[in-house]
Amino acid sequence: MHVVHDHSKLATDVLHQLEQLDFEFVTAGYSEAVARNGLLSSDITIYIYAAQTQLAPALRKLFQQAREDDFEADINDCLIITDDARQLGRWNDDRRKFFVDVVLWPEPIGILKTRIQSLEHANSLRAELTQTRHSLAWHATRIDREHQLVEHIFRNALSRNYLEYPHIRTYLTPVSKFNGDLCLVAPGPIGNIYVFMADFTGHGLAPATGALPLSQAFFAMADRGVSVAEMVTEFNFRLNRLLPDDMFCAGILLELSANGERVTFWNGGMPPAVLFSDTGEIIDRMPAQHMALGVLDDDDFDSRVTTFRAPTNSNIALYTDGVIELLGHKMEFLGSDTLEQLLQRFSAPADFPKLVGELEHFRGTQPLHDDLSLAVLSCCPTGLDELKQLKDDTAMPFTLTIDLTSNQLRELDPVNHVLNAIGTLPRLRNHRTTIYLLLAEAYNNALEHGLLRLDSSIKQAPEGFMNYYQLRAERLSALDEGRIRIHVNFIAEKGLLEFTVTDTGSGWDTNRVISSSHMNHGRGLDLLRQLTTQLKWEQNGREVYFSYQL
Amino acid sequence: MALHRQFSNDGKELIIAIKGKFDFNLVQEFRQAYNNIGEERPTVIIDLRETEYLDSSALGMLLNMRKSLGNSVRGIHIINCRPEVRSILDISRFDKLFTIE
Repeated sequence: MHVVHDHSKLATDVLHQLEQLDFEFVTAGYSEAVARNGLLSSDITIYIYAAQTQLAPALRKLFQQAREDDFEADINDCLIITDDARQLGRWNDDRRKFFVDVVLWPEPIGILKTRIQSLEHANSLRAELTQTRHSLAWHATRIDREHQLVEHIFRNALSRNYLEYPHIRTYLTPVSKFNGDLCLVAPGPIGNIYVFMADFTGHGLAPATGALPLSQAFFAMADRGVSVAEMVTEFNFRLNRLLPDDMFCAGILLELSANGERVTFWNGGMPPAVLFSDTGEIIDRMPAQHMALGVLDDDDFDSRVTTFRAPTNSNIALYTDGVIELLGHKMEFLGSDTLEQLLQRFSAPADFPKLVGELEHFRGTQPLHDDLSLAVLSCCPTGLDELKQLKDDTAMPFTLTIDLTSNQLRELDPVNHVLNAIGTLPRLRNHRTTIYLLLAEAYNNALEHGLLRLDSSIKQAPEGFMNYYQLRAERLSALDEGRIRIHVNFIAEKGLLEFTVTDTGSGWDTNRVISSSHMNHGRGLDLLRQLTTQLKWEQNGREVYFSYQL
Repeated sequence: MALHRQFSNDGKELIIAIKGKFDFNLVQEFRQAYNNIGEERPTVIIDLRETEYLDSSALGMLLNMRKSLGNSVRGIHIINCRPEVRSILDISRFDKLFTIE
């Protein structure tokens, strides 16, 4: 406690009194207080002045200074003790920064002590409040910063989300900054499109966190064109390991084929998606047949899907329960019947904004209670397959020859190795499926008929196929002589790929080559003939040459 | 797993998906995949979405399946072919024997 006084008789009396009351304090004169800008202490300050010393203006100036000062925390409540009755009412004009109490001297004993004590108490509360306010402000800044970081991560994680796909319309509204619902759209490699809508238990940051691993898995698997069953198995596996026991994720994953006709879906714990026509007819519903994701272990998880054929001009509405549990201004739920009526009324794709308008009108000024997601996908050709062509026009010419002994033929899979070597080269990349086929046909022909002397007519018998390949395996493992040479030449400027496959077998009568695509053999030959040019045999059928025009 | 086999929820479709290479190495597995199809006459769906390569032995296996299943299935659909796979099936006139989507 500080005491600032004017050395008057009054001051001596008060200081004596304070000592008697066992207060501990440090004293200072007014000039010193002004020099130190007055009131810098963590405790309360008592100002004493007698009317005759006329220090009221100096004190007023001190207070004025303190009020203008920015350092709120350092300003303390004070008590003025004076015999100047005329000035009494004029001190308490601003309590915003500090509290000024006034005692008219002389004062009956006992009141002074309690006045000082309650002022001290108020002062310590004020100090505590200030500190709490500061730490709250600090935390708020920190949380803001963290939210910004997380938002940034989410933006990046979902940057691939193909919500601008022209045949999907979405209305996604989270309760808070972070969405516990997830609506992901991604194209597959074969012109197909995937839509995944999910709803984590709860809303806010915690459930939104689960969206990160899920979306990463979704986009990676969509790129590979993974099936719906396999995708949901992976989602479940990840979430089951990741989420606490009381948290799970309802989800519906849907795949639409490139032609817009075949729909495959898996629904775990989500409201039934609605299939409806452009003209407003409800065609079907796609109810949940499974538990939500993240609940069951791998062994118990059921990844079975449902498939159906979507009629032309039909649409699928996917939504989270936030939509049907939307509270209206009369405190009533929207309900699935009303939603379906809205879908029927605003069934045409162009009417989607009106549908959203109706939902917003229904809610009025009611606050949202749950994240809300609605997506309507049109079942029409996706138009995505044309975009996928890899562009590469620079080609590198090369020649590759491999010559394999019987030992190597037993151990190696030459077709695979050659394919790996050339299948990723520019220009050839887009033809690797055909290149594999050509290589496999020519090589297998040389090996099976040239060296292993297998007879394709075996395949005709009921179990012929199995027997044939069993025999192939047996004879191959016993092969101890013979060679096969594979020669590939790429004439880059012509885009021509030449193949020569030579074996050291006994050859065959090349005049016997007949087209026989209705029998279970000769099909390979047919394929070669149709896909290649200049197909010809040399050395009594021991060498085949053909070229493939890219 | 190069081959994945699963019935749909309603049991009306048997979905067989082949990953990577569809060739004679799958001869046994593929045959087993359509061994127990039940009495319900399901539709068999051959999903080639992840089939990058196939050769004439794969075509033979598909024809064998068709012969062996006969009328015990509602139909056999080949779906999600990549363009190159599709053209191989077309060249072999598989569109006359199977429903190719």
